[in-house]
Amino acid sequence: MSAELIIETSSLVKRFGRANALDGLDLHVTEGEVHGFLGPNGAGKSTTIRVLLGLMKSTAGTARVFGLDPWSQSVTINRDIAYVPGDVSLWPNLTGGEAIDLLTSLRGGADAQRRAQLIEEFEFDPRKKARTYSKGNRQKVALIAAFARQAQLYILDEPSSGLDPLMESVFRRQIERARHDGATVLLSSHILSEVEQLCDRVTIIRAGVAVESGTLADLRHLSRTSFRVSGVADTSALQSIDGVHDVYQVGDTVECEVDAGAIPAVLTELAAQGASAVTAAPASLESLFLRHYSTAQ
Amino acid sequence: MRAVMLLLATQARRDRWVLSIWIGGIGLLGLAVGGAITTSFAIEAERASIVALFVTNPAFLFLRGLPDGLSIGAVAFLQGFSFTAVLAALMSTFLVVRHTRADEELGRAELLCSTPLRRNAELRATIILGFLANASLVVVVAAGYTVGGLPFGGSIVAALAVGSVGLFFVGVAAVVVQALPTGRGSNGVAAALVGVAYLVRGIGDALGTPNAQLTQVTPSWISWLSPIGWGQATRPYSEPMLTPLLLLLAGFAVLAGTALVVRSRRDLDSSLVSDRAGASTARFGGRSVLGLAWRLQRATLLGWCVGVVVLGAIAGGLGPVVAQALQDNPSLSALIGNLVPGVTADIVDTFTAALLGIGGVLAAAAGVQAVLRLRTEEAEGRAELVLATPVSRVRWVSATLIVSGASVLAVCTTLGLATGVAIAQSSADMTAIARFTSAALAHAPAAVVFVAVTALVFAVLPRLTIALGWGLLVIGLVIGQFGELLQLPQWLQDVSPFHHSSAVPVEDLDVVAVLILLGITGVVAVAAIVLVRRRDITA
Repeated sequence: MSAELIIETSSLVKRFGRANALDGLDLHVTEGEVHGFLGPNGAGKSTTIRVLLGLMKSTAGTARVFGLDPWSQSVTINRDIAYVPGDVSLWPNLTGGEAIDLLTSLRGGADAQRRAQLIEEFEFDPRKKARTYSKGNRQKVALIAAFARQAQLYILDEPSSGLDPLMESVFRRQIERARHDGATVLLSSHILSEVEQLCDRVTIIRAGVAVESGTLADLRHLSRTSFRVSGVADTSALQSIDGVHDVYQVGDTVECEVDAGAIPAVLTELAAQGASAVTAAPASLESLFLRHYSTAQ
Repeated sequence: MRAVMLLLATQARRDRWVLSIWIGGIGLLGLAVGGAITTSFAIEAERASIVALFVTNPAFLFLRGLPDGLSIGAVAFLQGFSFTAVLAALMSTFLVVRHTRADEELGRAELLCSTPLRRNAELRATIILGFLANASLVVVVAAGYTVGGLPFGGSIVAALAVGSVGLFFVGVAAVVVQALPTGRGSNGVAAALVGVAYLVRGIGDALGTPNAQLTQVTPSWISWLSPIGWGQATRPYSEPMLTPLLLLLAGFAVLAGTALVVRSRRDLDSSLVSDRAGASTARFGGRSVLGLAWRLQRATLLGWCVGVVVLGAIAGGLGPVVAQALQDNPSLSALIGNLVPGVTADIVDTFTAALLGIGGVLAAAAGVQAVLRLRTEEAEGRAELVLATPVSRVRWVSATLIVSGASVLAVCTTLGLATGVAIAQSSADMTAIARFTSAALAHAPAAVVFVAVTALVFAVLPRLTIALGWGLLVIGLVIGQFGELLQLPQWLQDVSPFHHSSAVPVEDLDVVAVLILLGITGVVAVAAIVLVRRRDITA
């Protein structure tokens, strides 16, 4: 690999009491990429991030950020990191603007013009006391504080979970801008579509272990579309199409998973057979996990 | 009503440990005080001397209450009642705020209000819980006094007085939470009202008139302005009278009813006092960890300072008045002459020194409260935001310790200045200002020990920070206030930092003790800063 590793963990273990939150996690994020960190709730995404920020000490294994140990050198490392937690809690008696200024000042000060622009784009009112903000508005505070100052590494923990679709697109533009500036992004999420749109590479984590890692093309089988069809008599014709998987029939209804490339062929076949009802949906992460990983254990 | 009972059961379950500790602790204090008087003051002459000490010294009247005869029960009631009543009141206000405004602020109430309940169902359940807690307190305190050796009938009345004061403050807190937007603010205001009740009774009692035998003091009318004064007026061990308790119960009914009506008519999350729009950018001070620590504490610190200004004004203003009253009473001044020959002029100093000692406890409380911010910041996830920036834990903890230490100094200085100015005004002696300011500051070294110890608990046992932080302060206070009465072993009394404070200007400043206290503070604070680097930041 030619590019430098920004984040590197190997066999990372974090134990809480008797439970292992991380159970030998390997995570590699190279310079300049937007890396998706996918997993269901409770998989260990936030714990990993807290170890990377030096908030928690790993039980075993190694973690390196910019080649340094985050537990002993968090101050040096965090100088170049912007972080957005999944559940943003703010100081109730500070206004949103004051919280933004505090967080950016601790990192060395905001770019005033960029701060103003972000506040405008996110349609954020910085004069209200933080206790009156909704979840989405609290998240905006953390996002504006993160993007108002250039960082080398952005660590974003489910950052768009409280944003409406309009604000989500503002958020995506900021990620694109960070990528353009050459920064590295670690984006944790449980929303597959978000990761598909933004990320170059993806690591999928489950029960504290990385189960898959690679480019989206590598993980192509994860971006299938689920079809649910009624009024189709001959399922063998569907099955014979290359890129159609997991066909099975319940009464009158047929369900199958279809690779992106096979969709035109499937639609043609369905039209030919005179299907009476068709539902197509991107496979949800949860269903992917159920299908791909629950049987593997 | 079934829903209310369900809520009540949930609230009671959430509180099972907290309330057990409060109720058990208050009962234990009753047992200890009752037992101490029964054993150490078994002879009437001994009790007569302690009562004489009260009658001749308004500071004791102010802090503790009114002598009501020489019986064992009356002396125990005198020693313990006002303090016990304050504890019952605080138990009640914290209970109410915890289940109402604090829940509302954190969004838990929203979840409940979305179910088919009446809007004030939660408040109803809380008021019932407050009633049950104070009823249990009556039983436990009555048992404690009786087992301690006090007469049964009087102990029942005394315990009813304690429980009724507690119940009254259930009502007070129920109204306060309707008016204020935050749990923290509600706790502060409700606790301040408890303080006001205590101070008003103190003023009234200190201005009371002793009887001819100097065994009883009748309070001035001012004591009748305080709910704690009403509880005291039951005189359980001399001429028991339950009518004053009707005032407390009626007060509770009116306050609780008002709160229920207001709650059923107001929106969720609305309050009388509400937030205005603030600054859209941070000023210079709001851009650093030290600035943040200050910003988080400044409103609370202002509250403490206003409180001690009132205390200082009382101390300074009341001292000369009561000294004059004592001198005008020939039989009293004769008694004082016998007890402490030739020092009548120092009544003012003795009185003030005792109040400045209370100031030391308040300063410690202000400092401890500031340190506890570290834990709330951590538990509510804001520490994570700060520590994910290039701010080291050392800097983060040090900033809070600086603000905590400054809070202790601010409270002591403010109290000393207020006392000094009040005395200087009445005596035209300008040196009083410097004298009493330094006297108040003599209590700061003991207070900062609590700040450092709380920080150490935070570093080592984060989840216990809040319980132990306040708990250690209460233990220190109880040992300081009751240690000698309970004849606790000397080593135990020596453990309390307050025991090593000098009561300037009555005593000389013990410089060695000051240096030792400051040394301990330094070592413990450094240990806290070092140890906090070794653990995870947890929620």
